[in-house]
Amino acid sequence: MSTLRRRFQPDQIREWITLLLIVLVLLFFGTQIDNYFSPRFFNRISTSVAIIAVVAVGQTLVFLTENFDLSVGSVVGFTAYFVGQQLSGNNDMAPGMAVLMAVGIGALLGSVNGLLVAYGRVPSIIVTLGTLAIYRTILVEYSDAQTVLTANLPEWILNLPRANIFSLGDLDLRLMVGVMIVVVIAAQLMLKYLPYGRRLYAIGSNAEAARNAGFPSQRIVFLAFVLCGSLAGLAGFMFLARFGNITVVAGLGIELASIAAVVVGGVSNLGGIGTAVGALLGAILIDVLENSLIRWLEISEFWRDALLGLLILLAVAADKVIMTRLRNLWAQRSELEVGSDGGELGTQEGGGHVA
Amino acid sequence: MEPVLETKHTSKRFDMTQALDDVSFALYPGEIHGLVGENGAGKSTLIKIMTGLYRPDQGEILLDGEPVQIPNPQKAQGFGIAAIYQEPMVYPDLNVAENIFISHRDFGPVVRWGKMYREADDILAKLDVKLDVRMPARGLTLAAQQTVEIAKALSLEVRVLIMDEPTASLSAHEVRQLFRIVRSLRDQGVAILFIGHRLEEVFEISDRVTVLRDGKWISSTPRDKVTSEQVIRDMVGREVDDWFAKGETERGELLMSVRNLGKEATFHDVSFDVSQGEVLGFAGLIGSRRTDVGLALFGVEPADTGEIVFEGKEHEIKSPEQALGLGIAYVPEDRRQLGLIMPMSIYTNISLPMLRRYLNGAGLVRQRKEIATAEEFQEKLSIRTPSVKADVDKLSGGNQQKVMLSKWLNADPKLLILDEPTRGIDVGAKAEVHHMINDLAAEGLGIILISSDLPEVLGMSDRILVMREGRQMGIFDRQEATQENVMTAAMGQSASRDGGQAATESQR
Repeated sequence: MSTLRRRFQPDQIREWITLLLIVLVLLFFGTQIDNYFSPRFFNRISTSVAIIAVVAVGQTLVFLTENFDLSVGSVVGFTAYFVGQQLSGNNDMAPGMAVLMAVGIGALLGSVNGLLVAYGRVPSIIVTLGTLAIYRTILVEYSDAQTVLTANLPEWILNLPRANIFSLGDLDLRLMVGVMIVVVIAAQLMLKYLPYGRRLYAIGSNAEAARNAGFPSQRIVFLAFVLCGSLAGLAGFMFLARFGNITVVAGLGIELASIAAVVVGGVSNLGGIGTAVGALLGAILIDVLENSLIRWLEISEFWRDALLGLLILLAVAADKVIMTRLRNLWAQRSELEVGSDGGELGTQEGGGHVA
Repeated sequence: MEPVLETKHTSKRFDMTQALDDVSFALYPGEIHGLVGENGAGKSTLIKIMTGLYRPDQGEILLDGEPVQIPNPQKAQGFGIAAIYQEPMVYPDLNVAENIFISHRDFGPVVRWGKMYREADDILAKLDVKLDVRMPARGLTLAAQQTVEIAKALSLEVRVLIMDEPTASLSAHEVRQLFRIVRSLRDQGVAILFIGHRLEEVFEISDRVTVLRDGKWISSTPRDKVTSEQVIRDMVGREVDDWFAKGETERGELLMSVRNLGKEATFHDVSFDVSQGEVLGFAGLIGSRRTDVGLALFGVEPADTGEIVFEGKEHEIKSPEQALGLGIAYVPEDRRQLGLIMPMSIYTNISLPMLRRYLNGAGLVRQRKEIATAEEFQEKLSIRTPSVKADVDKLSGGNQQKVMLSKWLNADPKLLILDEPTRGIDVGAKAEVHHMINDLAAEGLGIILISSDLPEVLGMSDRILVMREGRQMGIFDRQEATQENVMTAAMGQSASRDGGQAATESQR
């Protein structure tokens, strides 16, 4: 049996499929829209992806444990507003301090989710649906219908979105995109090389076995929510830097966008499958599609949410149909080969998700 | 030589049942120790005590002659005691090497994959198994998954390996592979406790065979000094209690006859007749597929070959609705999952399958009629409850069983299939259920009684169909059915001559 095929089963090559889809989408629209491959388009996509991707990486950690975090949008909005207000009141605050504050608030809000889900044993969809509303309401009350205004913010944060790491002609690699890349790589390495990361997969893959093996499952799930909250907090800071003017509706809908990115990127809603890179690719694919479709069909921005919803449904359906089929195909071929050389212990047909 | 693991005077009780009664048992390094017994003999309880899932009420556990406590599975692992179950517990999304190590070794604060792969390869080499350690566990065959679990046990430096029916879902070829691995583990000095239902396998692999019965230790004998007849006698040797006796009932007209019924990969060639007023017992061990036959007759999991003639007409039963329409009712084994809706009241549970009968002109449910029906059954079956409006989860197991029976009797069945009707209920309730079966048979119902309780089947049935691994081993008449005959057939030893004759006669 071919070693390559045995090791790289459909679930392992899922990221490549997303990448392939991105390339196909780009090629298609390249023929449809004039002057499609412009540096401006690249810069626009990369900056708008940055915030979603950071949230999606956090969402991935939670997804791996077979949970959701619907509150991320409210966390982004709350941290963006809160940090913005602090900065407006005190323009001398160190940039590092502001970032730390955003991440800290995010972690705090995430830990509330984590406590209730991991230790309170309340389903995450209920918990985070509740905190989605609660965090937003706290923001509304706290803000007293005021808006954080660009004019009151310190200079450095307003310059942040345009700060480049390097430029290649008209192509810019913005600092915010750099932050996103660091987050994705760090998460990817953690998932692959830290025992904690591996345990996230183990818990999502077979929760019962994990319990029997004596894993501290509760702590692992709790920490996933804290990390997700922290990343949402970081995204909140990025949001503040990008938009400057923060109202009470800031970050609304980011939960939908992040879940769409994660699901399109091949992270399984049943836990145990998915990577940070996959989530990033999912976010990119969605953003490219959105921007291109809106330009191509000349439809209004209001279609954005419908498009997101459609993509989520398509991705899940495609996963269900195509991946199951691929798995069966893989298994059958393996079996044939096992049949021919006898002694080896083979793979079985089907191989659905063992819950 | 000193035993590596020993239980002394161990007892464990669950509510009404004494699951283990003063069992003393020793396991020596470098032996394969077969453990056999009927369903409910206490095998599972014993291994759960050894692996820290249960704590014994009495008695002690000795490891290398020292008394120890095993409060949880992790502790058992620490002592070098590991268990492999029928259904392996792998993580499908992790690869083989990770599956071996994830529960107990991290390979550094930053996982050193290379080292992990090398060590996993080493362990598999020790087992003489070819398996790619980088391959995800998803899609491995059960046999391969078991090998991964054995490798995990080896990596824990296991000293006692408990295998609970590891061969149940393996092919003959895979069983041979497994046995080769097990023998090589024994030669490395591991003590292996092998629980099996196929007697010939237990005899093939074991160095010693221990028999449990009704929670008691019966015998431990070296394999070369024991015969299968003797083991079977030890397993069943018990008197049939009086109150199991079925009253004489008139056997009426032929109700149902089934010929060569089969379902792919489940059971095949099952043939029998049931008449009005007759109780046909289905005996067999776990995995004999008796329940699957019952589910096929009721249309839950329809059969795909063979024929069913019910009241003179051939039918292909495809759904429970259809079966109910014909007059076949099935009372499932698992009251909680399949039978009753626990948070609902007694009367709503009873009327549920026949709800159409309780509708008024406007299509609304007539509650008063429902309650009247429920009260009728409460009286008839003496369901002990203050009111039929009480929720069923407040009732005892025996009374829940009666509610379930009421529910199906309300459908006025002609044939009643009872799957383990007395499992998990106390002795008194059991006797009542047996009385009820008698009464129903006397009223002319045909009854199929599926039961793991051998004395119950023997006492209650007019004839007994014995199954083993999806195959019909024979049908015994009441006079010919002895515990030995039935158990011999169920364990897959060649059926005794009497039984064989009985089978051919009744299938004529």
